[in-house]
Amino acid sequence: MNRRELLGGLCATIALPVFAGLPADGLWATGRRVHARARGRGRAFQVLDPHQSETVATIAEMIIPATDTPGARAAEVHRFIDLLLAEWAADDERAKFLQGLADIDARARGAFGTDFLTATAAQRVTLLTQLDGEAQKSDPTQPAAQPPFFQQLKWVAVFGYCTSEVGANAELHYQTIPGSYDACTDLGSWRAAPGDY
Amino acid sequence: MAAPSFDAIVVGSGITGGWAAKELCERGLKTLVLEAGRPIDPARDYVEHVPPWEMKFRGLGDRKALERDHFIQRHCYACNDYSGKFFVNDRENPYTFDPDKPFHWIRGRQVGGRSIMWGRQVYRWSDLDFEANARDGFGVDWPIRYAEIAPWYDHVERFIGVSGERLGLPQLPDGQFLPPMALNCAEQVVKEGITKRFAGERVLTIGRVAILTVPHGGRAACHYCGPCERGCITRSYFNSIGVTLPVAQATGRLTLRPYSVVHSVIFDEQRSRAAGVRVIDAQTKEALEFRARVVFLCASTLESTRILLNSRTARFPTGLANSSGQLGKNLMDHTMGGGANGTIPGLEDRTVHGNRPNGIYVPRFRNVKTAHPDFLRGYGFQGGAGRPGWGRVASQPGFGVELKRALRSPGPWGFSFYGFGECLPRPTNYVELDAEKVDAWGVPVLRIHCQWSDNEHKLLHDMSVTAAEMLEAAGAKDIKPFVDDNAPGLTIHEMGTARMGRDPKTSVLNAHNQCHDVKNLFLTDGACMASTANQNPSITYMALTARAAAYAVEAMKRREL
Repeated sequence: MNRRELLGGLCATIALPVFAGLPADGLWATGRRVHARARGRGRAFQVLDPHQSETVATIAEMIIPATDTPGARAAEVHRFIDLLLAEWAADDERAKFLQGLADIDARARGAFGTDFLTATAAQRVTLLTQLDGEAQKSDPTQPAAQPPFFQQLKWVAVFGYCTSEVGANAELHYQTIPGSYDACTDLGSWRAAPGDY
Repeated sequence: MAAPSFDAIVVGSGITGGWAAKELCERGLKTLVLEAGRPIDPARDYVEHVPPWEMKFRGLGDRKALERDHFIQRHCYACNDYSGKFFVNDRENPYTFDPDKPFHWIRGRQVGGRSIMWGRQVYRWSDLDFEANARDGFGVDWPIRYAEIAPWYDHVERFIGVSGERLGLPQLPDGQFLPPMALNCAEQVVKEGITKRFAGERVLTIGRVAILTVPHGGRAACHYCGPCERGCITRSYFNSIGVTLPVAQATGRLTLRPYSVVHSVIFDEQRSRAAGVRVIDAQTKEALEFRARVVFLCASTLESTRILLNSRTARFPTGLANSSGQLGKNLMDHTMGGGANGTIPGLEDRTVHGNRPNGIYVPRFRNVKTAHPDFLRGYGFQGGAGRPGWGRVASQPGFGVELKRALRSPGPWGFSFYGFGECLPRPTNYVELDAEKVDAWGVPVLRIHCQWSDNEHKLLHDMSVTAAEMLEAAGAKDIKPFVDDNAPGLTIHEMGTARMGRDPKTSVLNAHNQCHDVKNLFLTDGACMASTANQNPSITYMALTARAAAYAVEAMKRREL
């Protein structure tokens, strides 16, 4: 709780940053990996290699799929995650995130004999359901505890999507200038506005 | 070459500096405003309408830059990607404190100062507040009463534009209000619950706020985009850049000099007057002097005191105008963060449209009519109701279509009360010049000694109890009382260290914010405060500034200054 939240009417309060609270010790460090230009438009990926970025994009799209509105892939959430890993995360947090990605492949190989990306759609859902179940079991009242990898990925997928041009406009009907304040109106009248961010 | 000379020098261009400039210029004085920071161009620097996807980190903040340059300022909610540029660089602007007693000094150095990102809540004080020190013996008696400042509250409110509801409460006098903003559906429910249970003893109203609900003085009404602290191109909330400084400029008597770090006040020992100020140009580091007949310190609570502490003379070896020894003493800040939140059942088909940059207010009800057995003075609540949106979704179970649907389906109505309590003046909370450390311009920095006392802790605890009672009265579910542990300073209502008082032996300033010891030296920012009340202080600073400026000009006309 802070004054911004209370003055903003508690809407769209943003949860803890994805990388916060990770312990520094006991982690293996991969160091920063800079890879060749990935597919698609925009700037080159700085941290994620093509396999990793595709894995992130695929999981993000499973978390927020295209429906009547575009999904996380169209919002290029994986590019935003790459930016956070490159310029926002601490070294140990980046390493831990990449370790989490590698662990998903390891689990897929253990269960299905193949990487996550080459597993069937049903197998991917099974694996994510498992990861989500484990993440939900972690104790949120322990702030010092490290948020499970899938919880981090879900947080950044939601945040990256809702703050993207695609997500904010198509899904949340972003309106720069509401023009007036209606204090009690139909549910359908709600629009995201600058103060929600 | 002789130092440039003016009728008046105002140090600082924020909420009080802007008011001093306006009043002094309008009353005929050729006025120099010195601002330590850079100029601000609203067209370029305001970012309230920049969407998140155009911000590099989408509002998360450039974490590494924050850790490097804003390691103190980042404690403030508004110091993020958007508004971080309005907060000082902590490496260039250090200060010191005992690590066991942190003080979060949140600062803005630019034309407009912190009036750009202030909270905009404005509440008058009453005699309950002006008589508090005399009543319980903490601090010294205020040299003024409500009747003396009331016309200046009127003057300020009429000019800046304040929206709010009239309540007729003696402890929170009504003012010159524009139409109030509306309470939302759930706030109405809580208001009704409180009215029924507490029958006039506790009252819930919409915040009184320096934001226009109708066009006023050539400025547009609020368009409800929400994040005022990023600037406002329509000038719908009050800040000095958009409202007071332009009026001062229009007189043709204003000179505004940014990048001017005031080092100290020049004291003429023979005439026992302030002769002007010493300045370090923030860009060239050149030492400059400016002269004037009268000097107004409006640099913010701790900066004005720092300037006086750094203005040591033969007659004032511990700081200019400090014959009382009170300079630097009695640092205060509102104690913030006792409260409760809960869920308001029902109203599931209702929401709001527009982002109201304002919340609710519950005026003080403790120690108003009857004395509380556990603590002195009181507190008020801010807060409000809302429905959590997409931000809650990431912590929900599941993924896929259903999770995505939750992004646009808000959660149940939540309500939160957040208390702001009075802080007792205590000489053991004080600032001094650090013996070794200097800032990026070579000016000695402050060493701050500040801790909450038992009374503030008791206020915080009581906030959590009474907030929960009000939620219970409103039929709320899942009521959670809380007490946040906020370091002093973080409320950004730091006050005191050059208090007003009747007696030159025990106070630095008189009833007109004039130094007892140096008659042409005035100080009108938060340093002057002899107590804190529990109301947000800016409007009182503004009223005191306008009042002091009028007094100074009259005294100059009478040739007393």
